[in-house]
Amino acid sequence: MRISTLGFSMGAISAMMTQQSALAKLQNQVALGQRVSTPADDPIAFVHIQELQRAQSESEQFAKNSTLAKNRLSLEEQAFVDTTNVMSRVRDLIVQAGNTATLSDVDRESIATELAARLDELQAIANRQDGNGEYLFSGYSTRTEPFSGGDGTPISYVGDQGARQLQISSTQRVADSHNGFEVFVDIPQGNGIFDTGVNMSNTGSGMIDIGSVVDRPSWVPDDYTITFTSPTAYEITDGATPANVVQTGTYTSGAAITFNGVSVTITGVPATGDTFEVNQSRNESIFDTIGAVVDLLNMPAGDSTANAKLTSTLRGSLQQMDQATDHFLGVRAQVGVRLATIDSVDSSREAMDIDLKSTLSDLRDLDYAEAIAQMNQQLVGLQAAQMSYSKISNLSLFNYLR
Amino acid sequence: MADLLNTSISGLLAFQRALDVTSHNITNANTPGYSRQLPDFTTRSPQFIGGNWVGSGADVSAINRAYDNFLAGQSRSAASAYNQSNTYATQAARISNLFGDSTTGLSASMQKFVNSLQAVADSPNSIAARQTMLSEAQTLVDRLKSYDSSLRSLDSQVNASISTEADTISSLARGIAELNKQIASGYAQTGQAPNDLLDQRDRLIDELSTHVNVNVTKTDDNQLNVFIGNGQPLVVGDEPARVVATSDPYDPTRKRLAVQSSVGTIDITGSIAGGTLGGLLSFRTEMLDPARNTIGRMSVALADVMNEQHRAGMDLNGDMGGDFFSVGGVDVRAHANNTGTAGATVTRTDTGALTNSDYILTNTAGGWTVRRSDGTAATMTGTGTAGDPFLVDGLSIVISGTANVGDSLQIKPTSGAVSPMQVLINDPAEIAAAAPIVAQPTAGNRGNATISAGEVLNPTNPALRTAATITFTSATTYQISGDPTVYTYTPGADIDANGWRVEINGTPAAGDSFTVRDNSTGTGDNRNALLLAGLMSEPVLNNGTTSLSSAIGQFVGDVGVKTNQAQVTAAAQKVVAEEAEGAMQAVSGVNLDEEAANLLRFQQAYMAISQMIRVADSCFQSVLQATGG
Repeated sequence: MRISTLGFSMGAISAMMTQQSALAKLQNQVALGQRVSTPADDPIAFVHIQELQRAQSESEQFAKNSTLAKNRLSLEEQAFVDTTNVMSRVRDLIVQAGNTATLSDVDRESIATELAARLDELQAIANRQDGNGEYLFSGYSTRTEPFSGGDGTPISYVGDQGARQLQISSTQRVADSHNGFEVFVDIPQGNGIFDTGVNMSNTGSGMIDIGSVVDRPSWVPDDYTITFTSPTAYEITDGATPANVVQTGTYTSGAAITFNGVSVTITGVPATGDTFEVNQSRNESIFDTIGAVVDLLNMPAGDSTANAKLTSTLRGSLQQMDQATDHFLGVRAQVGVRLATIDSVDSSREAMDIDLKSTLSDLRDLDYAEAIAQMNQQLVGLQAAQMSYSKISNLSLFNYLR
Repeated sequence: MADLLNTSISGLLAFQRALDVTSHNITNANTPGYSRQLPDFTTRSPQFIGGNWVGSGADVSAINRAYDNFLAGQSRSAASAYNQSNTYATQAARISNLFGDSTTGLSASMQKFVNSLQAVADSPNSIAARQTMLSEAQTLVDRLKSYDSSLRSLDSQVNASISTEADTISSLARGIAELNKQIASGYAQTGQAPNDLLDQRDRLIDELSTHVNVNVTKTDDNQLNVFIGNGQPLVVGDEPARVVATSDPYDPTRKRLAVQSSVGTIDITGSIAGGTLGGLLSFRTEMLDPARNTIGRMSVALADVMNEQHRAGMDLNGDMGGDFFSVGGVDVRAHANNTGTAGATVTRTDTGALTNSDYILTNTAGGWTVRRSDGTAATMTGTGTAGDPFLVDGLSIVISGTANVGDSLQIKPTSGAVSPMQVLINDPAEIAAAAPIVAQPTAGNRGNATISAGEVLNPTNPALRTAATITFTSATTYQISGDPTVYTYTPGADIDANGWRVEINGTPAAGDSFTVRDNSTGTGDNRNALLLAGLMSEPVLNNGTTSLSSAIGQFVGDVGVKTNQAQVTAAAQKVVAEEAEGAMQAVSGVNLDEEAANLLRFQQAYMAISQMIRVADSCFQSVLQATGG
C-alpha cells in the first residue's frame, strides 16, 4: 500500500493524540481518586452512586432522629425513676396513716402535709420540660403545661393525647414520648374490673374491703350500690334509672357478698340506710388518688364511724397506689421496648452504612494499582509511538541525495 | 543529426516538465487537500524516414492528479458522520458535566431538603430547624434554576452556532460556485484539467461536508452541483444558494435553517443530517429540549405535591398551611403566520399525566387537533371552552379568540416553570409541620377501643377544625355529632367526616366517645412534616409510577447513557473517518521518498539526454571536420 508522507504523519499524530487523551483521562481519575466523575463515564454506576449517596445522607438523618428519640426517651425514663421513688414514699405514708388505732388527728394532718408535698413533687415531674423548654408529657401540645391546678385544687390534664413519632429508618417510626393522659391519668380503678367505696355520709361503722373477682364472665359492668335496708339486710341495685334490684341478702359481718361474679366483704356494724358502692372500673388520675387521701386525712376522725370510712378508703387508696405503680412499670417497659427497638434499628443501620460505604467505594473509587498499571502501559505506548515516529520520519531518501 | 537533436530536445523538455511536477509535488507535500500530480509521458509520433518508422522522442501529454472519486465520497460521508457525532458528544458532555457533581447535584439537594424536613419533624417547635428547612428549600430551588439557566444558555449557544454554521455553509457555497466557473472555463480554454483548481474545489466540498451532509453530482462541463438536506440545491453550476438561520414561527429566539435561492426560501431544519450542523440540531431535539422539559416537569411535580400536602397542615401560629413553592405557568405561543386571533389559556390539572413533550394545536376544517412535538398524535377530549376545556396529557386548554383554518398554537407545558420558581414561605413559623386536627378518646371510656391520630382529606372543608364527637350508641354502632345517622362500627374501617379521616380499632363500650378537634395548641405535632418528608419517595410522576427521587435518577442516567453513547459513536466514527482519509491519502498523498526517487530518475534521464546532445554535437562536428577541414 502506498503511504503518503502527510498521511503517515497525520496517522502517527492522531495515534499519539488518542494515547494522550487516554492518559489525560487516567491522570484525572488518579488526581480525583474516582473512577466515575460524570454520568457519561459510566451511566449505570453514576446513577447507582447517586442513589447510594442519597441513601447515606438519608441514613445520617435517621441516625440524628434516633439519637434525638433516645435522648427524649431517656429523659422520660428518668422521670419514671423519680416517679417510682415518690410513689414508694407515698405508699409508706398511706400505710402509716392506716394505723387508725394509734394516730391522732394531728398525726394524720402532718402525714397529709407530707403527702401534699409529695403530690406537688409528682406534679412537678409530670410537668417536666426538656432542654428546649418543651413539656415531656403534654402530647402534641408541647408548649402547654400538661397538668394544671394543684395546691389544693384538683390537678387536671390539659395536654392532648398525641404521641410524636420520629422516623428512625425508611420504614420504622418510634414515638419519642408518652402523653400525660396515658401515663398519669389513664390508670384503671380498683382491681381493673371494679372498685369499692364507702358513702361518706354513712352513720354506721361498716367497712368494705377491696373485693375480688370470682367469676369474670358473669360480671356485668355497671355501678352497683349496696344499701342496708336494716342493720342485718341489704339489697344490691344497679345503676339504671330507676334502679333494678340485683340481689338482696342477710348481712353477716365478715361474710362475703357475692353477686354478678364478684365478691366483696363488709365488716363492722352498718346502720340502716348506709350505702357502699361497687363501681365498674374507670380510670383515675394518680393526682386524684393522692389528692383524695390528703383530703381524707385532713378530716377529723377518732370515732368508729369515721375510722371505718378512713379504713375502707385507705384500703382502696393502697390498692390504687399498687395499680398506679404497676401502670408506671408498664409504661416504663414500653419505653424500654422503644429504646431497644432504636438500638436494634441503629445497629442494622450501622451495618448498612458500612455496606453502603463499601459498595460506593467499589463503584466510584479508583483502583489505584490498576490505574497506575494502566497508566504505565499507556505511557510506554506513547513513548514508543513518539520514538518510532521520530525515527521513521527521519528516514528519507533525500538524506542520501548528496 | 537534426532528428537526434530534435528527439533529445523533446526529451529535455519532457523531463523538465516531469521535474517541475516533482518539485510541485514536493513543495505541496504538506498542503491539505493537495493531490499528487503525475506527468503522462507519451512517445511522439514516429517519422517515416528511409523506409522505416523512426521514433522522434517523448512528450508530456498531460499532467494528471491522483484522485479517486469513490474514496473521496467515502471520506466525505465519514467526515460528515464523525463531525455530527463529535459535535453531539461535545455538547452532550456539557449537560452530563452539569449534572456530574454527585455531592451538590439534584439528588443530593433533594435529599438535604428531605433531611431538613425530618429535622423539623424531630423538633417542630425549633425555629432553627424550620429556618434550615427554608434555606434547604431555597437551595433546591436555586439548584433547579441554575440547571435551567445553564440549559437555557446552552440553547442560546446552539442558536448562535446555527447562525454561524449557516454563514459558513453559505460562504463555502459561494467559493464552490466560483471555482466551478473557473474550472469550466479552464477546461474549455485548454482541454486540460486545472488540477490545482480541482483540488481547491474538492477541499471546499470536504470542508462543507464537515458542516453538513452533502450530495455531489458532476455536470458535463466538469462543474459540480451540491445538494443538502432532502436534495435542496446549494450550488448549481456557478450559482450558489444561501443558507440562512430563520426564526422559529412560534419562538423568535429559536433558530431554524432555510435555503434561500432564486426559487424561494425552503425550510430544511428537519432534513438536515450530518456534520456539525446535524450534530447541533439533533443534540437540541434529542437532549437539550427534553432536559429542559424534564427539569421543568420535576419542578412542577415538586411544587404540586409539596403545596398540596403543605396546605393540609397547620403552622406554628395555628393557621392552615399555604402554598410552599410557586412555579411558572404554561407557555402558549401563536404561529407567526396565524391569520386569526386565537390564543389559549392552559393550566396543568394532573401532574402525574404530564409528559416531556411540547404540543402543537392546529385548527383544521374539522376543528382543533393536537399532536406532540415528536409528531405522535395525542388523545384530546372536550371542546376547548371554559365549561368544557380540552384535556390532553394532564393539561386543560381553553381557547380564546377566533381561529382560521390552518392557524396553530404551540404549548410548552413545563419548560417555563423553573425560572420564576420561588419558595413562598418566608416566615419559619408558617411551615405547616402539624396536622390541624387531633383525635383522641374521651377520658372515662370503658371500652378498650383506640382511635388513630387522624388525617386530613380535604383541608378546605369549613368544618374541618370544628370539634366533633364520635359517640358509641352501642358496642357496634356510633354517631358523629351533627349527623343523626347511626353508623355500624367496623374495627379499623375509615370514618370520614368534615374533611378528616380517622380509624377506630378495638372494642368500644356503649357510651364511649372519641373527639376529633382542632389541634391549634399542638405545636409539637410533626405529622404533616413526616408526610412532607415522605413525598419525595411517593410515586407522583408518569401516572403514579415514578417518584421524584427515582425520576432524578432516571433523568441523570438517561443523560449519561446518551452522552456515553455519543462519545462511543464519535470515537468509532473517528476511526472510520481516519481510515477513509487514510485511504484517500494513500492514493492522492505525496510520498517524499517516491518523489526523491522520481527526482533522481528524471534528473538521470535529463543528464542522459544532455549527453545525447553532446553526442549529436560531436557527430555534427566530425561531419563538419570531414567535409570542411
